[in-house]
Amino acid sequence: MAARSIETDVLVVGGGGAGFRAAIGAREKGATAVLLSKGPLARCGASPMAGADFTLDGRNLSQLGFAGDPNDSEEKVFNDIVTQGFFLNNQKLIEQYVRGAPDRLKELIDWRLKIVFSEERAIFTTGIGLMDVLLKRARTVGVDLLEDVMLIDLVVQRGMVTGALALDVRSGEFIHLAAKAVVMATGGWHNAFWPNTGMRDLSGEGMVIAHRAGAELGNMEFITFCCNVLLEPPNARGSIATYVLGMQAGHELTNNRGEAFLDQYDPYTVGVASGTEWNKSFISHATAKEVREGRGFSRGGIHFRRGDEPWEKYKAWCGILFPNWKYKSLDMTEIGRRLEANEPLEVGAVVEYFDGGIVIDDGFATAVPGLFAAGECTLGLFGANRVFSAITEMLVQGADAGRNAAEYARSAEIPAPDPDSLAEKQHKAERPLERSGGLRPAPVRRKIQEMAQTHLGPIRTEGELQSLLAEIQRVKREELPLLSPAAAGRSYNKEWVDALELENIAALLELAASSALQRTESRGVHYRADHPVTNNDEWLVESLVRKTDDGFALATRPVSTTSITPPAGTTPYLDMVKGMMERHSEIGGHH
Amino acid sequence: MAEKTITARVFRMDPAVDEESRYQEYRVPFEEGMSAMDVLDYIYQNLDGTLAYYDHAGCSLGICARCNCKVNGKATLFCQYLVSGDLTIDPISPSKVLKDLVCERKRENP
Repeated sequence: MAARSIETDVLVVGGGGAGFRAAIGAREKGATAVLLSKGPLARCGASPMAGADFTLDGRNLSQLGFAGDPNDSEEKVFNDIVTQGFFLNNQKLIEQYVRGAPDRLKELIDWRLKIVFSEERAIFTTGIGLMDVLLKRARTVGVDLLEDVMLIDLVVQRGMVTGALALDVRSGEFIHLAAKAVVMATGGWHNAFWPNTGMRDLSGEGMVIAHRAGAELGNMEFITFCCNVLLEPPNARGSIATYVLGMQAGHELTNNRGEAFLDQYDPYTVGVASGTEWNKSFISHATAKEVREGRGFSRGGIHFRRGDEPWEKYKAWCGILFPNWKYKSLDMTEIGRRLEANEPLEVGAVVEYFDGGIVIDDGFATAVPGLFAAGECTLGLFGANRVFSAITEMLVQGADAGRNAAEYARSAEIPAPDPDSLAEKQHKAERPLERSGGLRPAPVRRKIQEMAQTHLGPIRTEGELQSLLAEIQRVKREELPLLSPAAAGRSYNKEWVDALELENIAALLELAASSALQRTESRGVHYRADHPVTNNDEWLVESLVRKTDDGFALATRPVSTTSITPPAGTTPYLDMVKGMMERHSEIGGHH
Repeated sequence: MAEKTITARVFRMDPAVDEESRYQEYRVPFEEGMSAMDVLDYIYQNLDGTLAYYDHAGCSLGICARCNCKVNGKATLFCQYLVSGDLTIDPISPSKVLKDLVCERKRENP
């Protein structure tokens, strides 16, 4: 089948906020820009699902006319991100984050973003509203938008990126892209886990393909789970509605013995974790402990109730968060009835954000000339644990990555992508279509997704990581080569897409499990039950995975610091968590 | 007692090979609170991988609206249609079917 060909200065891969902002940034610098959106425009990736909070320091926030805390400062935010990240952050990226945030918020206001409310160091909008504003702006500045198109691979010649191969999922036809620079903005790889909070498309192509092209990945073991995610009813599974509500209005969490299991922990830690976005790491950790020790419920969760919180307070928050008893478009009527009656809802710790990713410098360039990355798919900003907003991250990083990619594209002499290389990649991607009577991708995917949830969750052990790794390696060896779609034909052949995605999911799980095995300590969202201590003497380093001729090699490198020197010594994990909470500045709010 | 099952009658057509559409029936275990999307996921993952419905992206939570369709003759979203018993599932525009339940869309760019 003949492939379409498209030429551009900058190719942006990813249809979430980082991708849109990068494409806008490249276009505003005068470069031509093409954006690949794997799913519906402005309705795929994790961005439209976000709550969504945009964080910046309260002083700048108040100067912009919002109810920010004027006693806040960029330095305080910097301090808080470093301590929330257990000192594993790239401090240069935090500086870029705090300095870039005010301009990004100003432009959102210029572009008519609707802001719902604000607090000490954040404004709250909706993921959908934000994506609509970015889509409109992208159209205004003339970004070429390709919908339902999936990246298959990059073309690298003489060590530099020259283009890419993509698949139009609807027609099944390939697209050849000649690009002087590429920005990866593909977000996380939620689809490696079941259940998950992400959209169906998030399978980590950007990370795997960047790695294959020669970029390093780092801190792949740091995976943030969101607590209090609905596990039932089935149509609401994966919704964060109860998470959002619980943080504002309070909650009671109980195990299958009826115990309020948070009571066993230090009250200060529980207090901070219940009222801020520390809940993601701490409550997910506590939830995983209950479930692993047999005190959970049938869907792998715990019970969420209103508890002693008055219904009037709950109802008022529901009115703000779920207008007309809808969260997004999810009908919350029955959930509301159960909350009013104080009946339990089963909720759990569900994969939400990936703290590690593609290694980039402070200009968002990888070590491969022409390859940039921005947003969740990158390494470093949040270190071992994210509390501040990923919405701010995607916008500050996307803007700089897009602008820098445009500048590189203007200065670089880039050859057209090699047709032989494109043909070879095309042939490889077609292999599942040429097989018949093999394995169906969906059951293979579900099996490894469920194993990832239990073995690479908030609590890990050497034994479980080894068995996950062995299983992934077996699947790679024995099952992936046999995947074959049952349907003939290329047009909307979902099993073909699933087979291609599964290769990426398996690769990422192997890298993450290997990194988690290597890190024999507990820090941030990575807790090793067999190494329950934060070890600042040996593990204040980023884990790296490098591509080699026959696979990958593990390595480490020191963290990049600018103004805060990390501590030495070893500390039991929960003491370390409390210590990090105590080092937070006096500024209130949820971050 | 055997678990409760329902029958899903699903519109099938691959315009590349089929002259006419047909309905295919599947038996699916019923769970209280399941959506039409849950029914299609069950069929695709366990019974018939040739079924095409918009699944490679999308949110399952009613925000992307890409799974618009007809269930029992009424326009809805797969992910927001609550199933209570047997159901018939059709594409939103049967005359513009790309494959099964996925319809053609106009491209905004070349």
